[in-house]
Amino acid sequence: MEIVVCVKPVPDAETRLRTSADGTSLDIEAVKFVLAGYDESAVEQALLLKEANPGSKVHVVSAGPAPRTEEVLRASLALGCDQATWVEIAPGVAPDPLTAARALARAVSSAPHDLVLCGKQAGDDEAGVVGAALAESLGLPDFSAVLDLRWDPGSSRLRFQRATESGVEKWEAPLPCVVSLQQAWNDPRTAKLPAILKSRKLPIAKVPLEPLASSAGTTRPTKFELPPPRTGAKMIEFKTPEEAAQKLVRILKEEAKVFP
Amino acid sequence: MTGLTLVVGELHDGALSDATPEAVGVAQSLSGKEEVIGFLAGSSSRALAAGFGRYGVGRVVIVDDPRLDSAVAAVTAQLVAQAADSVGAELVVVGGTTFGRNLVARLGVRWNAAVATGVTALSRNGPSLEVRRPVFGGRATETRQLEGTHAAVAIRPHAFAAPVESAVSVTLTPIPADGIPPTFWAPKRLSVEAAPRGAGPTLTDASIVVSGGRGVRAAENFHLVEELATSLGAAVGASRAVTDAGWRPAGYQVGQTGKAVSPQLYIAVGISGAIQHLVGMVSSRVIVAINSDSSAPIFKVADYGIVGDLFQVVPALTAEIRRTRGQ
Repeated sequence: MEIVVCVKPVPDAETRLRTSADGTSLDIEAVKFVLAGYDESAVEQALLLKEANPGSKVHVVSAGPAPRTEEVLRASLALGCDQATWVEIAPGVAPDPLTAARALARAVSSAPHDLVLCGKQAGDDEAGVVGAALAESLGLPDFSAVLDLRWDPGSSRLRFQRATESGVEKWEAPLPCVVSLQQAWNDPRTAKLPAILKSRKLPIAKVPLEPLASSAGTTRPTKFELPPPRTGAKMIEFKTPEEAAQKLVRILKEEAKVFP
Repeated sequence: MTGLTLVVGELHDGALSDATPEAVGVAQSLSGKEEVIGFLAGSSSRALAAGFGRYGVGRVVIVDDPRLDSAVAAVTAQLVAQAADSVGAELVVVGGTTFGRNLVARLGVRWNAAVATGVTALSRNGPSLEVRRPVFGGRATETRQLEGTHAAVAIRPHAFAAPVESAVSVTLTPIPADGIPPTFWAPKRLSVEAAPRGAGPTLTDASIVVSGGRGVRAAENFHLVEELATSLGAAVGASRAVTDAGWRPAGYQVGQTGKAVSPQLYIAVGISGAIQHLVGMVSSRVIVAINSDSSAPIFKVADYGIVGDLFQVVPALTAEIRRTRGQ
């Protein structure tokens, strides 16, 4: 099975968010970028499928600026991906998610792809659209919110569950298709030092970004706002648990007005 | 961007989902009532189109085809794009469910739309549309300009109010599910295990969430959290410590690798407040923390804090809520 996994570098979860000088986006000065959490699960899932299905290959693809995109591709190679492709996007404004999906589609369409895996969403822009947009570009069906993914060679079907608003759905689908994983239910492996060292020398194929068709809609960030810092909790003083409960209920009703 | 808006309805438990009237409300506030057209697909679309009429939408495009009951989003997206073109709509609005996000993503490619998801505010800014949406787990908000001739927007659940009901009669415009590539019909939905009824609202939909953390100490104590949630009609969540320990399944987890929630009220019980957890709940409107450690980081993001023994405070709180609600 030819497995493609799409990854994105995102600011580390512990990043202290600051607004850029022009007020339109996140200030990325001194921000540490890492492989997005959901994407880490997607890489793990790709590697598990490869291990369970001998002869499979995992091709990791990312679209974004230097150096962070190259770094997450190398991190994925160190984890065990076989091949990497980088669609280089000029630094500056982060690409609109649809632009990123189109860029990924260009890289994926020119390589073998039976199964394309994506994370559910990236922890920065939280758009959650890349998997479906990529599938539409490739003319493939896609499945989001997927849990528990298995390949059944007997029936040549992918079997999986989806956690949607209506409950847990069981599906089977032939390849090729695109799958966006719901959440980290697997326990992603960590790379070993020799593999990390080796990954620094592995080749990464580069694909240029194609200009957007003039008819295509796009989005442009105009403002990035941080909420006023929370000043810390108002502490409820009490002598008995019952008093604490009464005071809290009164506050929620009369002051916070959240309690019906 | 001017012109008509197509609101794509979603079905849930045999009726229009809550998100559908919310989407109608946004669309109507952006243009006139007459400029909003509904869309429904599936075997019950004809019967349920009247649900749009309740909110003043007098025209609904339907795809009355049972195959649409379990079709992949690729099929629906193709039909929505066809419907939008045939009625001359330039904007598609849908609730921000799993289905809604998939749909707008596909419309971005198929219909050349500017796409935004998780939208909490939508307005006109000159010729283009402007959206506001939380990012970084609600730790920041971004404003985006949607550029181009078409846009597809998925709104965040509960971010907008349903419009006041003003029933009109509905004219149906049926379209066939033609021209769909066979590969889009090949995947099969084998079964749906509905979320158990009476189990309370789902985490991401709930207006109140009560979550338990490591402080609960053991699986057999988690009922304290659940009883408090039941008294409030709230959904139950958990920190990663709880799901990692197997006290509750992974689906309960609120946080960076779990679900992101933004209810009106979030009550954190015995949760210290690791950043992993905070990014999943910090955008809640009001946060209450109950913890025995006064230096726990959760108190920095909470609005109200109780430093105390949860094994005493939580049952007292449950009893007080039951008492005030006459339960």
